[in-house]
Amino acid sequence: MTLLGMVWYYLWIAPYVLQGVLLLVMVRRRFYRQFPVFFAYTAFEVCQFVVLFAMDHSAAVSAEEYVHAYGWALAVSTALRFGILHEILAHLFRDYAALGHFGKPIFRAATVALLFAALALAVYTGGNNANGVMLAVHVADRTASILQCGLLMCLFLFSTYLGLSWRNHVFGIALGVGIFASVELIVSAMRAQITLPYFVDFLTMGTYHCCVLLWIFYLWAPERSTQFTLRVLPETDLEIWNQELQRLLHQ
Amino acid sequence: MISTLVLVVFGLLALLFLIRLAKGRSSTINSLDDLTERLRPVDVEAFRNLVDPDEEEFLRTSLPPTEFRAIHRERLHAAVDYISCAAQNAAVLLRLGEAARQSPDPAIAEAGETLVDSAIRLRLYAFHAMGRIYLGILLPGVRLSPVSIAESYERMTGLVIQLGRLQYPATGARVAAVL
Repeated sequence: MTLLGMVWYYLWIAPYVLQGVLLLVMVRRRFYRQFPVFFAYTAFEVCQFVVLFAMDHSAAVSAEEYVHAYGWALAVSTALRFGILHEILAHLFRDYAALGHFGKPIFRAATVALLFAALALAVYTGGNNANGVMLAVHVADRTASILQCGLLMCLFLFSTYLGLSWRNHVFGIALGVGIFASVELIVSAMRAQITLPYFVDFLTMGTYHCCVLLWIFYLWAPERSTQFTLRVLPETDLEIWNQELQRLLHQ
Repeated sequence: MISTLVLVVFGLLALLFLIRLAKGRSSTINSLDDLTERLRPVDVEAFRNLVDPDEEEFLRTSLPPTEFRAIHRERLHAAVDYISCAAQNAAVLLRLGEAARQSPDPAIAEAGETLVDSAIRLRLYAFHAMGRIYLGILLPGVRLSPVSIAESYERMTGLVIQLGRLQYPATGARVAAVL
């Protein structure tokens, strides 16, 4: 096996082995309760790798069958990544109640706008791939990448402007999904138009490897605690504060 | 092909932005002194005066149109400065609110929650108001009403002062002085 071949196998296998580790971390720290969709995505990725790897190395499976299986796996993966985005948004809106009123309509509008842009691109630009199935896969992949990358950018820009502090774990998950979605967008946009050299796959696989490491790092690391030390409150101040809260609640 | 180029550039920019965001996450406020250093004083009354419709009407009737337009533009630019200053303070106070809402004391935690809500609303109102003011600078005839910003800011700073008194009886006054 050549060195390039070894690197290829490493980048194919290692992220999923690491995702197995990630699953263990999530089970150990009970993150499957907080992030059920991300947990399902991680579990699915490991399972689909085992199936696709076995199919790739089985003489009984034709190339066409493999491509179909790959397409289905990609579709489920993409759907789960949308689920992760929804989970991230839900966490952010739960942490900041005020966002529910202003933020949700903004994200609904952003989703509709991005969906229209992605569909318009799919209809008007199409692609150059002669293989119908692969063309459909690449165009669908590009459409999903535009939506995912666009929504994550909206989310990050929105929270950066507002100065929101993300919980470490949510930020880590969003960062990993965002980085992968950005690289996927670049690659899928080019792939839908031109035939890319095979080494571009190394870029996508390497990025995914880095993202899995990021997820492990952020889910393993403890949540950042506040730097402010709080003191015991005098009774009178508490009463004043209660009155102030009541006044605010009635506004 | 142009659409592909646009998508590739967008993807690259998104990637750079995410890397920068991940790097910039280490910047935190470590103490109340740190907080007070980052706050900038905002004179709410002066801001109210700048966006007061009666004041604007008075200037419109007393000054020649060319002079009025120039002064009006300057006043709106000043109002934008005030709003961005208040919005910047809101971002800092948002951190204080976030720290407070992690307190084991339910009263401080609730106060922090309220402060966070006010700060977020102010940031959103500021974004909206600055857009309108810039529109006002471009189209001098458009009527503006960013007075709600001043009200929102006053409400928020009131909360901060109370929160400061609850948590830090000694240093809370310093925060109040800056605001």
